[in-house]
Amino acid sequence: MSTTSAPVASSDLARTEEYIRRVRERVGTVVVGQDVVVERLLIALFSGGHLLLQGVPGLAKTLLVSTLSKSIDLGFARVQFTIDLLPSDILGSEVLDQRTNEFRVRKGPVFTNLLLADEINRAAPKVQGALLEAMQERKVTIGTETFRLPAPFLVIATQNPVEQAGTFELPEAQLDRFMLVHRLDYPSADEEREVLRRNASLGIQRQDKGAIVQTEFDVLDSRPVGSVSEIVAAMEAVSSIHVSDTFVDHVVEIVHRTRAHPDVELGCSPRAGISLIKASRARALMHGRSYVIPEDLYALAEDALLHRMRLKYGSIAEGKTGRHVLDEILRSMGGEARA
Amino acid sequence: MSLTMHLRVAACALVLAGPSSAASPSLAHGGSAQWRGPQGDAPPPRSPSGNAPSVGMPARWNDVVLSGSELVAVSADRSAPLALRIVAARAHGDAFRYDFEYWGLEPGAHDLRTLLQRRDGSSCAELPELRVEIQSVLATHGAALPNAPRPSELPSLGGYDTLLVTGAVVWVAGLVALLVAGRRRRAAELASAPRVRSLAERLQPLVERALRGELAREERAQLELSLVALWRRRLGLEAARPADVLVQLRAHPEAGPLLCKLEEWLHRPDARGAAEIPALLAPYRGLREDELDAPGGVR
Repeated sequence: MSTTSAPVASSDLARTEEYIRRVRERVGTVVVGQDVVVERLLIALFSGGHLLLQGVPGLAKTLLVSTLSKSIDLGFARVQFTIDLLPSDILGSEVLDQRTNEFRVRKGPVFTNLLLADEINRAAPKVQGALLEAMQERKVTIGTETFRLPAPFLVIATQNPVEQAGTFELPEAQLDRFMLVHRLDYPSADEEREVLRRNASLGIQRQDKGAIVQTEFDVLDSRPVGSVSEIVAAMEAVSSIHVSDTFVDHVVEIVHRTRAHPDVELGCSPRAGISLIKASRARALMHGRSYVIPEDLYALAEDALLHRMRLKYGSIAEGKTGRHVLDEILRSMGGEARA
Repeated sequence: MSLTMHLRVAACALVLAGPSSAASPSLAHGGSAQWRGPQGDAPPPRSPSGNAPSVGMPARWNDVVLSGSELVAVSADRSAPLALRIVAARAHGDAFRYDFEYWGLEPGAHDLRTLLQRRDGSSCAELPELRVEIQSVLATHGAALPNAPRPSELPSLGGYDTLLVTGAVVWVAGLVALLVAGRRRRAAELASAPRVRSLAERLQPLVERALRGELAREERAQLELSLVALWRRRLGLEAARPADVLVQLRAHPEAGPLLCKLEEWLHRPDARGAAEIPALLAPYRGLREDELDAPGGVR
């Protein structure tokens, strides 16, 4: 499948690289030690996918997304998912205008560029389904009218993997809609020290006659470091990144190995391979390359494949995890094989 | 209702009522005693008809007319085969009419005369025979016999122990047969399964064809991954996270140039660096399995 699209010009590549550097720099002034997450966010943005962030509370997921949205000059909305949320709370609804006695459409928070769906697994499946349908089709029907969602449109959902009481786990079919699922780790000791140092330097903010203690959200620089046109240019550049036949062979082999592994009940779908290649292209661009290499594949395999694999009950009972199995698959690539 | 039926019902009533019911009319014997005319020319009294009483059960013989002076019962000792009681004695002309009650203690025929005597002490020799029958519900020899053995089937050959041993042998033989069959099937599966090719065996033909410029498209991917696997093994990075391995390999002074050139050859749109590949792959020619781990294997 060696792509034959027009190769990305080196000037475009340099301009996009510079734009990404500025975004990372801006995010870095507020959020410490989440370079990989920022990279995944930009990968999702540039390749038109959606991202699910899994991590315990307190890892600056919301702050990160807020900072990113301000940096890249995109519309941003945040919805805290709860059990009593209704689809109309996200998509919008028709309301009666008492002055004109007519119904008018009141669009929901989904009509934005960057939607943060906080703790998506706390909402009922009906709400999850409504959002995931909008993510897939990029349009919403309210009453009898269908509306296109703004472009670019990116959903960043978060999920707490520990506290599962009162939650509705996303089924495999809906998880498959997310191009990447990134699992956040705790920051290192040095990074955590820097977080504490920065937080301690925050003062108070006077408001009317009183004052409030400042948070990181209060010191966000709302000036964007680039325009939407630069995002569009980056998206175009991503679609021009060269994907070699050899790379496609690597992707196919990994995906097939997930289906043949004895511990895996449900292997990766073809959409997993598509997502992996799309994400690899964006990563290549972010690393200043006009072509993908196996490093992109290995770096993104966990985020692109793991949520699309389901282990057998027996294997789970033996204490195996999806990450162990995927690591085993990646380690076995190129090693011994049946003749 | 027939007479026989009457007798059976009466016998049951006697048994159920106990000795006191013996005072009831002499149905137990099914007949009345004999009349004798006042002149004494009547025939001697008949024995009570009907079913003979069994041992120990009281029986009545009523209205027995016997000539001569009044008779009384002899008090019998415990060894006597029969006990007799005169229930009633009424004058009947110059004779007497008696109601007897007796208990047979031994089966067989008995004569009531042996238990009678005149009240006035005169002889009883002219009395007719007063024969009664006592039957026994037990066997005639006085002991209960066991039931006759019923014919049954012959026991199985060898008995239960042999059956148990045979069953155990069959069970063990079946288990052994299953185990042997399972081993043979596994052996057959292993024999028919494709042989595992080691990393060196996979790498060698790929390197040879790459050096000759005959590498097929799908073999290029195998070559790249095999070289990554080789260096991962050589540098002891098997336990490292796969995502970190390539970063470390690219930074390695020996593996880095090789992998970077391979990437340029295999992944760049212009396939730059193809000319340098033969020189880079030459050290991997003829590499044996035992040389994969040795740093001296590739110079």
